[in-house]
Amino acid sequence: MRRAGRFLLYAALVAVALVFLLPSLWVIVSSLKTETEYHAYPIRILPTRLYWENYRLALTMAPFFKYARNSLFLSSVTTVLTTFTSALAGFGFARLRGPGKSFLFMVLVSMIMIPGTATLIPQFMLYARLGFMNTYWPWIVGGLAGSAWHIFLYRQFFAAFPKELEDAAEVDGCGRFRIFWQIFLPNSLPVIATSSIFLFGWVWGDYVAPSLYLSLQNATLAVALSGNLYVNPQGMPLPMVKLAATVLYVIPMILLFFLGQNYIIKGVVTTGLKG
Amino acid sequence: MNAATTRPMRLGRQSARARTGLRSRAGREALALYLFISPWALGLLLLTIVPVALGVLTSFTNYDGISPLNLIKFVGGANYVRAFKDEDARQAFGNVALLSLWLVPIGIIVSTTLAVLLNQDVKGRGIFRTIYYLPTVFPIVAGATLWISIADKNAGLLNAVLSIFRPGTAVNWLLQYTRLILSLFVIWSGTGGGMIIMLAGLQGIPQELKDAARIDGANSWRAFLHITLPLLTPVLFFQLIMSLIGTLQIYVQPLLLSAGSGVQVGSGLAGTPRRPVYMYLNHVMIQVLAYQRFGYGTALLWVMFVILVLLTLVIFRTSRYWVYYEVEQG
Repeated sequence: MRRAGRFLLYAALVAVALVFLLPSLWVIVSSLKTETEYHAYPIRILPTRLYWENYRLALTMAPFFKYARNSLFLSSVTTVLTTFTSALAGFGFARLRGPGKSFLFMVLVSMIMIPGTATLIPQFMLYARLGFMNTYWPWIVGGLAGSAWHIFLYRQFFAAFPKELEDAAEVDGCGRFRIFWQIFLPNSLPVIATSSIFLFGWVWGDYVAPSLYLSLQNATLAVALSGNLYVNPQGMPLPMVKLAATVLYVIPMILLFFLGQNYIIKGVVTTGLKG
Repeated sequence: MNAATTRPMRLGRQSARARTGLRSRAGREALALYLFISPWALGLLLLTIVPVALGVLTSFTNYDGISPLNLIKFVGGANYVRAFKDEDARQAFGNVALLSLWLVPIGIIVSTTLAVLLNQDVKGRGIFRTIYYLPTVFPIVAGATLWISIADKNAGLLNAVLSIFRPGTAVNWLLQYTRLILSLFVIWSGTGGGMIIMLAGLQGIPQELKDAARIDGANSWRAFLHITLPLLTPVLFFQLIMSLIGTLQIYVQPLLLSAGSGVQVGSGLAGTPRRPVYMYLNHVMIQVLAYQRFGYGTALLWVMFVILVLLTLVIFRTSRYWVYYEVEQG
C-alpha cells in the first residue's frame, strides 16, 4: 500500500515534468530538421540526422547579433540603473527615520499591486509627446526611477543588518552614503544577484516596451523573433531556422537561471511575486 | 561626533545645545531619508502619478495623440457612455472573464498540487522543482513560438503524436482550439512561480501539527484538509488576488499565438487576435495604437481598472470567511 503510494507519487511527478519539458524538447528537435524533413508528411518526430546548419542560418540570415546587442544593452542599462536606485531607496526605508516614512512605505507597497497596464498607456502618451519614440530614454528614465518590487526586496534585506555595524561606522565619521556604499552594498551580494537576475531577465524577455517604443531598426530580439524574420528566397517562412534562433534567444535565460537558481527562489519567496 | 559636546561649556547652555543637536541630528536623518528615496519618489511623481492623472484627464477628451494641444476638446463623459455601449468591448471583456474563470482556479490547483507533492519526502526534489519552474524564465515570445510549434497543423507535435493512433490527423489546433492552446501556454509558463510560493508556505507549517493530527488518528488526506489547507489559506488568498489581476490583463499571449496562426490582422501590439481570444486589453490597444483614439482608449482602460479594484476589494471582504489568520484581525 505504501509502496504503491510512493510509486504513484513518482509517476505523477515524472509525468508532469515531461509535460513541462515537452515543448522545449520538441523545439530543439524541430530546429535540427532540414526544410524537407520539417515539412514531411506524415510528420516526422525525430530528424534523421542533426542539421546544425539551421543555427548558422539563424545567426547569419538576419542581423541576429544586432538585435542581440540591443537586447543586451537595454537589459544591462536597466539592470544597473534600477539596481542602484532601488538599493538606495531600500536603504532609506530600512535604516533611516523621518516624518512621513510609513506613509511613503505604504505608497511603495501599493505600487507593487498596481496593474502594469494602468500606467503603460498613460506613460506611452507622455513619452510620445516628449519625443522618446525610437530612443532608449524610456528604459533610462524608467531605470533611474527604480522599481517598487526591487526596493521592497532591498528593504527586507537591509532591515536585517545589525545596528552596531552602522553605529561603528558613524563613530568613524562615515556619512550615510558611505555607510550605504562601503558597508551595506558590499555585504549585499545575494540580494543584488537576485534583483539583477530578475531585472535582466525581465528586459531581455519584455515584448511590450520595445514594440511600443522602438522600430525594427533598433528592435530587440523579442520583437524581431516575434515576426517572420527568416524567409527563403521565395518569401516563404523558414520555421526551423526561426526555432533555432528562438533556442539561441532562450539559452542566456536558462544559463542565468541555473547560475542564480537559489537567488531567484529566494526573491520569489521574499516578495511573494512570480518572476 | 557632535563637536558641541566635546567643548567645555556651562551646564544650561550645554543641555540646550544637546537638544538642538539632537533635533538637528533627527533633521539630518530625515533629510538623508528623503535624499535616498528621492529618485524613486521623483520617478513615481513624474512617470506614474503625472501620466496617470493626464490619462484620466485624457479620457474626458477627444485627444488623438497628434493634434496640437489647443485642438483638444472636452467631451464630458461621452467616452465612458460609449464604452458601455461598445459591443466589442463587452464581448472582449466576456472573453477574458471566461478565460479567468478556469485559468485562475486551474492555475492555483496545479501549483498547489505540485507544491504538496514536492513537499513529501521525495528523491530529486530539486530537479523536479527546477523543471517545473523553468518555463517561467522563458521570454514570452519564445514561449509563444514553442506552443505554436506544438500546435502547428503540418509540423506540430500534437498532430505527430495523434497520427500514430489515427493516421492523417491534421487538426489546426491554433485555429480550432485557440482557447485550449492559450490556456496550456499560460499554465505552462505561470505555475512555477506560484508553486515556489506555495512550497515556501508549506515549509512554514510546523511538522508537530501534522504529527499531532496523525497521532489523533487522522489519515494523511484528513491531515491535509484540516491542518495544512487552513494554514495555507493566507498564501492561497494572495495567490488568488495576484492571479486574477494578472489573468484579466492578458493580451500579449493571444496576439503572439494569433500571429503564429497566420490570421492576425494588423501588427505588433495593435494586432487583432482571433475572436475567441480577443481580450479586453487587445481592444484597448487597438483603440489607442491603431485608431489613435486616446480619449476613448483611456476611458476603456479606467473602466477595467475600476473593475480590478472592485474585484480585489470584494475578495478582501470575503477573506474573513475563509482565510485563517494566526492573530484575530480587527
